[in-house]
Amino acid sequence: MKTIIKTIRENALTPWGLWLGFLGLLLLGALLGGLTVFWKGLSITNLTDRVPWGLWITLDLSAIALSAGAFSLCAGVYLFGLKRYAPIARTATFVGLIGYTMAMLALVLDIGRPDRFWKALVYWNTHSLLWEVTMCIMLYLTVLVLETMPIFATFEWLKKRFPKLTEKMEHVHHYAPFLAILGLGLSSLHQSSLGAVYGVIKARPIWYKPEMAVLFMFSAIVGGIALTLLASMLSARLTPKAKINDGLIERVAQFLGYLMIGYLYFRFWDWLAQTYTYEPGRTEAFELLTKGTLSFNFWFGEMIIGALLPTFILLYRPARLSPFWRMLGLAMVVGGVVAFRFDTNIVGLLAVISYLPGEALVSYASYTPSLVEWVTGLGIIAYGLLAFSLGVKYLRVVDHRITSEARETVTVKSGEAVQI
Amino acid sequence: MDNQTVSRRDFIKLTAVGVAVAAGTRAIQQVEASEGAKGEHQWAMVIDQSNCIGCEHCTFACRARNDVSPDIEWNKVLEAGEVGGKMTYLPRPCMHCEHAPCVEVCPVGASYYRDDGIVMMDYDKCIGCRYCQIACPYEARTFNWEKFEGDNPAVPEWGMPEVERRPRGVPEKCSFCYQRIDRGLSLGLTPGVDDAATPACCAACPTGARVFGDLNDPNSQVSQLLKKYPSYRLREHLGTGCRVYYIPVGVVPVRDVTTTEG
Repeated sequence: MKTIIKTIRENALTPWGLWLGFLGLLLLGALLGGLTVFWKGLSITNLTDRVPWGLWITLDLSAIALSAGAFSLCAGVYLFGLKRYAPIARTATFVGLIGYTMAMLALVLDIGRPDRFWKALVYWNTHSLLWEVTMCIMLYLTVLVLETMPIFATFEWLKKRFPKLTEKMEHVHHYAPFLAILGLGLSSLHQSSLGAVYGVIKARPIWYKPEMAVLFMFSAIVGGIALTLLASMLSARLTPKAKINDGLIERVAQFLGYLMIGYLYFRFWDWLAQTYTYEPGRTEAFELLTKGTLSFNFWFGEMIIGALLPTFILLYRPARLSPFWRMLGLAMVVGGVVAFRFDTNIVGLLAVISYLPGEALVSYASYTPSLVEWVTGLGIIAYGLLAFSLGVKYLRVVDHRITSEARETVTVKSGEAVQI
Repeated sequence: MDNQTVSRRDFIKLTAVGVAVAAGTRAIQQVEASEGAKGEHQWAMVIDQSNCIGCEHCTFACRARNDVSPDIEWNKVLEAGEVGGKMTYLPRPCMHCEHAPCVEVCPVGASYYRDDGIVMMDYDKCIGCRYCQIACPYEARTFNWEKFEGDNPAVPEWGMPEVERRPRGVPEKCSFCYQRIDRGLSLGLTPGVDDAATPACCAACPTGARVFGDLNDPNSQVSQLLKKYPSYRLREHLGTGCRVYYIPVGVVPVRDVTTTEG
């Protein structure tokens, strides 16, 4: 007990201590908020019958999208043979594990009957996209747990206490290619199906299009890779525990720039197609994006800052070589994907087509997240940040000295560039 | 490198097996769906707008019989614009679609089709994800944001509750008063003819603007009305196949019925 108090007293005013304290406060707020939601029900949120999906769903969709670095980078490393990027894929799987658990937390809050969460696994409506998404997410979470086993095996305390166990956990690494195959399959399915969840809704014309699946898949890949790179660079800047090979990150960032061109192409094509003809409901919803309440989000969040600028930054060599500009570009991509998810969900709900006979009239709903939605949402983000911070500190999550084949540590003298 | 080729080949194999299995299950389901869709009865409702006076007796009767909270309307009566200086109305129960978006999207199968065409909710299975609400083109579903506690203002004036109250955290909707239909049939009554076996809204309608019956029976009142008069369904172009038909204003002669306001 005394030693604990002593450790706290010694560390409280260090940046690490303050960071933990800050996240702790957010988590405490979310815990209280979450308990209130369970106690009082969803009536304390600003969700309504017209806008039944709000901030939490955005958090869900974003957390899952930003976890997509795990499957795309693992596929690159283990299926396409880009083995030297294995350390980045390692970080990505850890980010993925955090992202999916964040989504789970948000879902438990969001569903009306959290006590029946298990029913989603027992009762199947195989026709439902949400069923498919649920199944894929559960299976993929299992894959992620297996994929991150070798990372957890580096926990010193665990190594000392249970050396046999950590050896076994470390051994899971040998199955990485198979796990990558499973991960690629499951992720391709549910990342696109998450878009199709919206894409199949006939009642809401702005959603009702096949490209929803493509857009969600593509935005997830760019967002996921961007977050992995950003998290790696940021942690390397903040703690000596994280060791990166900047050359590797720079190469992936350039590749991300090219991917962004593909993403922009799809967005642009989707955008143009929607402006062509008046379609009741769709045109009104689209105008909410281009000149209505969501126009700032759309033009700046999604398009200019979220996609165009970072594409230039990541493809323009001098900017990409500067860690500051590269990190900024990566952060913009991440923000752009979150904005895209938020807008996509909300825009279809805000423009409601009347079912009265005759010409389709459109009415508008409104939604501003309530305090409890923000507090719990921020708490879930804090959980993600805390998990990643602890991972960096204790689990060598960001450590580019670990090579994929030998899994040996390359010893480096300080002041020397890391060569892998 | 050798290791890798194996993984790729395995990947293709795995995918092929997965696709085959998925396609197989889907095919089996479709066969089941098409065979199981038609039962002995096919219930439908016909609403004659010429005779609807917007009195909302249907809404009150529904509230009492199905113990619906005052915050929720299973059967909403909307104003549908003036025709010849007279307001017209459009009562909107659940449409009990033949291709119901809510049933299609429900992840746990809490929304399902009965053989007689009724789109049912299993309130014990529902996890409260609200995807059905988002998918419904008719805003027929309302979520229980709060628990409905206390007295039902429509009881006992408009009847006694016949079904259990829904818990907090699940969406609810009109069920065509399945409990009245099932009980009525077991007693040898005919839904649509005998009030006790007919949905509360139709039984309560003072002008006879709401008619219920079996589409499989060519002599039922619904079949006869649909044969005689032109009708339409809401958002028909979506292809949902609603089982609620509307006969527009000016088609059916207006009956002279004096009513007491409820």
